[in-house]
Amino acid sequence: MIASKRKEVVKAEEGEIYDVELSEDLLKANQRLAEENKRFLQRNGVRAIDVMGAIGSGKTSLIEKLVKLLKTKYRIAVFKGDLTTTIDAELIARHGVETVAINTGKECHLDANLVGKALQKLDLGNIDLLFIENVGNLICPAEFPLGSDKRVVVVSVTEGPYMVVKHPFIFMEADVVAINKKDLAKAMSVDVKKLEKDVKTINPKTMVVATNCRTGEGVDDVAEALGL
Amino acid sequence: MTSQIVQSVLAEAEKRKAKKVTEVHLVIGKLTFLGLEQVRFAYEVLTKGTILEGSRLIIEEQEGTVKCNHCGYEGGFKYEDDPMYHVPVPTLKCPQCGSVVNIVAGKECTIKSIKMMV
Repeated sequence: MIASKRKEVVKAEEGEIYDVELSEDLLKANQRLAEENKRFLQRNGVRAIDVMGAIGSGKTSLIEKLVKLLKTKYRIAVFKGDLTTTIDAELIARHGVETVAINTGKECHLDANLVGKALQKLDLGNIDLLFIENVGNLICPAEFPLGSDKRVVVVSVTEGPYMVVKHPFIFMEADVVAINKKDLAKAMSVDVKKLEKDVKTINPKTMVVATNCRTGEGVDDVAEALGL
Repeated sequence: MTSQIVQSVLAEAEKRKAKKVTEVHLVIGKLTFLGLEQVRFAYEVLTKGTILEGSRLIIEEQEGTVKCNHCGYEGGFKYEDDPMYHVPVPTLKCPQCGSVVNIVAGKECTIKSIKMMV
């Protein structure tokens, strides 16, 4: 084993080999920024909800419906993460809430750094509730906390019956899971209850709600599960 | 990620005015989705033309570890076998007492140590 317990030599002869112990966790940098974001949000009395899920699962639709439901109760802002384009951001902005599009370029997930920068664009004094829609992806966002209070994962029946068991680690991060497009479950031969069971097997703490974000069915239950 | 690793090592080497880096020891958690082959490949590409070129990259994998605040268990995940799909699914349940556990290791990407020549 490398002599990692060897003390560092202060003065070295030319050509001598230094063995430097670092223990620098590069992923911790994002965690630290996430914690900074969280403190910043809390100081300003803003609740932040991180919405994750596969491409096309219904994240934007869920946020749209939640905004519609809650905009008279809370002053809402939305961050919309995407590689490029502001299509989704514009959809949400139509509901009259402040929307900031965060274009990640090539990164397939939002990180705390980008969210921190976007927070500078808001007047947090005028906001109570912030939804952060992550890029469509069931893998990477799990590793990158953003500083939110709650994390929601949206999974839809059109992704098939195995989507939950295939991506256990993102469900370990979820406080609430919305199983969306429940109206299509029969057509897809997907059992919503089985998906719910899969989620709860992986993470017993997660609250699961079946939704139809086109009609808004189940969205008030999601809001309740989030404590909103 | 690999470019971050290379940047960090270069910064450390510069601090100590190293002429060459001979070895970099990484610890990559199994719960990160970093593909080790990809990291190795990217490392080779990114270190070309730098003082890291030709250095040995050692990657140690860190197992996912959970801790139970209820009974004190610390160790691997409890896996449950899904009866329908016959897939072993990792869970946040304590293998000892069934309470919900916290993940305490397996999510890191750490530069453990660097060997360099001054």
